[in-house]
Amino acid sequence: MEKKVKVYSTPTCFYCIKVKEFLDKNKIKYEEINVATDMKAREEMVKKSHQLGVPVVEIGHEIIVGFDRVAIEEALGLKK
Amino acid sequence: MLDLIIVGGGPAGVSAGIYAARKKINFLLITENFGGQSVVASEIQNWIGVKSISGFELAQKMEDHLRAQEDIQIEEGSVVEKIEKSGSGFKVILKNGKSFETRTILAATGGRRRRLGVPGEKNFDGKGVAYCSTCDAPMFSKKTVAVVGGGNSALGAIKDLSAYADKVYLFVRSETIKGDLVLLEDIKKDKKVKILFNSEITEILGDKFVKGVKYLDKKENEIVELPLDGVFVEIGSVPNSEFLGDLVNKNGYNEVVVDHKNQKTSHAGIWAAGDITDLPYRQNNISASDGIKAILSIKDFLNGNNK
Repeated sequence: MEKKVKVYSTPTCFYCIKVKEFLDKNKIKYEEINVATDMKAREEMVKKSHQLGVPVVEIGHEIIVGFDRVAIEEALGLKK
Repeated sequence: MLDLIIVGGGPAGVSAGIYAARKKINFLLITENFGGQSVVASEIQNWIGVKSISGFELAQKMEDHLRAQEDIQIEEGSVVEKIEKSGSGFKVILKNGKSFETRTILAATGGRRRRLGVPGEKNFDGKGVAYCSTCDAPMFSKKTVAVVGGGNSALGAIKDLSAYADKVYLFVRSETIKGDLVLLEDIKKDKKVKILFNSEITEILGDKFVKGVKYLDKKENEIVELPLDGVFVEIGSVPNSEFLGDLVNKNGYNEVVVDHKNQKTSHAGIWAAGDITDLPYRQNNISASDGIKAILSIKDFLNGNNK
């Protein structure tokens, strides 16, 4: 079964853009959440990740902080 | 065997790549990302020929310019683990296991963020301690934050943060600000900003998240506690020079020592350019020019004119 992917990001964040580029390249569907404007989502993100920084990537039940290519690949079961 | 491997995709690596391609040098450029350290800057106003551009846009333009060259070989998303001597040249080994042989190397891997090195910084990394204001400024809306540093990146961070936060303190270690006066004048007009000169953060405090800092007021010679929600560290960079090991001479800051006439390192066949080197001024324009200097010197070397 495909895991649900969420990307918590802000519009000016370079690493968020890189995460999204990476997911696009690997044809992974994801929900993008802008925590600069969506306060409810921001609270949700902080609660889940204990982080005040973006990007935070949620893959299934896994939380990945920052653009961690290897961790994202592992969580998605992508092989190079 | 390749004639040249350029390691790095910042202004030094990209300018080198463009010049190398135009000189038809058989080369490969290896980089994790394009754009270098200022990719996270919200606005760059001193890149010559462009009045104002975001760091991300500049990174894209650099990459586009490089990729527009003919016969270009790029390994993007890759990090060099180490370099070994091999026959008449070098073997460049990547973290992903790949390796390449080359006659010459240009090391242009720049730097990464310098940490404060005070108690609490590591524990609260991502929990109030931050290194990317364009990324995380919105997370601090209506909060009180501190920026540490005195250069242009610190002044830029203040501008990013002042758009969201209620109050921004700037901690400057000395009595002066090194950043550009045009930026400083803007910041001085901003009522949200308070500059604390001669002040050094000694500890970051908090529980789950940052709750405050302790700092040394060097004029009064006393430790002061200040409640706040975030600390943005903008105190320059440390060089990404580990992959060169002991092959080249480095100074006490791990910066690669180069001949600033031609960017040669102490090891024949290895050049270095940009923030990885012992250059005194860290600027995009300067790194770009150093990358070009290196290529002109490498071309001479490959032609047998070892000036």
